[in-house]
Amino acid sequence: MKGGGLRRTGSAVAAVATGLLALGLWAGAAALGGPRAATNEAPGMTALHADPGQPDISGVWLVTQFFTFSPDRALPKLKPPYDALYAKRMKAFDAGAPIDDVTADCLPPGMPHIMVVPYPFEIMQTPGRVTALYEYAGQVRRIYLDGTQNPAGSDPTYYGFSVGRWQGDALLVHTTDIREDTQADFTGLPHSDALTIDERFRRLDPETLEDEITLTDPKAYAEPFTVTRIYKLHPTWTIGEYVCEENNRNQSLANGQTGFGVEPAAGGAGVKP
Amino acid sequence: MTSRAGAGLLAFAAVCLMGVTAPTAARAHHSFAMFDREHPVVLVGTVREFQWTNPHVWIQLLVPAKAGGDEEWGVECTSVNFMRRQGWDRTSLKAGDKVKITIYPLKDGSRGGQFGGLVELNGSPSKLPGYAR
Repeated sequence: MKGGGLRRTGSAVAAVATGLLALGLWAGAAALGGPRAATNEAPGMTALHADPGQPDISGVWLVTQFFTFSPDRALPKLKPPYDALYAKRMKAFDAGAPIDDVTADCLPPGMPHIMVVPYPFEIMQTPGRVTALYEYAGQVRRIYLDGTQNPAGSDPTYYGFSVGRWQGDALLVHTTDIREDTQADFTGLPHSDALTIDERFRRLDPETLEDEITLTDPKAYAEPFTVTRIYKLHPTWTIGEYVCEENNRNQSLANGQTGFGVEPAAGGAGVKP
Repeated sequence: MTSRAGAGLLAFAAVCLMGVTAPTAARAHHSFAMFDREHPVVLVGTVREFQWTNPHVWIQLLVPAKAGGDEEWGVECTSVNFMRRQGWDRTSLKAGDKVKITIYPLKDGSRGGQFGGLVELNGSPSKLPGYAR
């Protein structure tokens, strides 16, 4: 029985290997054809695509401008009470004592903030799925292209639930069910629980990815707000581990202000080479 | 700031002469609003501990105080991954190293700041890059 199982396993491995080889040949051929030549896959690695004709936006990308949600620091037309909330945060920020930064305590930035953090992310394309793997806090966005419905119902989450489809060379992504307490950027740009996000990803050239991001939030914004974000390919980079809880010395204080661990971390946290 | 830093604190003009790379504005894990990026300063001291950790790498620096003894400064760098991509590793600094570094000090005057660049390591100019994300 055991031997048979092993043999079966062996056959399965062989079958998978053959399949990978075939895919590899296909991927190689596609690379010669053009669109796949721009990827940063390591030699010998195989790209899995749902459709050979699917546009390729895979790779390790880094946003070109960060800090504020809009690269030109434009703001959505905030409605009460969100305008007052943001004014309070900006006042504290300008005074050098920022408040309400949920990431100070290692909570994730969520959507749409993760799209403007100054850390790279890797896009992978597999059948029925586009996945973005973020270095910042090891976060993940799963974009379903296969009709999958939100298994969490309408429970709000940090990254919401994303469905996508290809339209020409663009990947259109619609995201719903986002937690109200995520912020759009480091300055604390707020939104409500009515926020939905539409994105349009396009590879402008082999080195450049564009994401046109539209925030629609009838409770907090007087009208939809769109920004265009640019990401550059970093073909030699790999995504590194980033565990925020390892040695976080920036926990928020009782007054909501972001702290700074001037003194050595309690218990001597940290690697001693 | 100046009085607190005592003998370890030099003028910004000296930093410019050292040719420290102009940093790109960046706070990653939280906002950089707490740092005075308009008035970088130089600290001269001895590394007590080099914390090669996320979300930030930290340099715990002992700086001689005017009144005698040492004052400890906490200097926050960027993440392990960005430091590594710039050529740093977990052995770049070690306890006991004598360093001259630039920092962007905390606006509230406490003994801490954001890493700006390593000017000298054990008496020699450092080739390790400064702060860029």
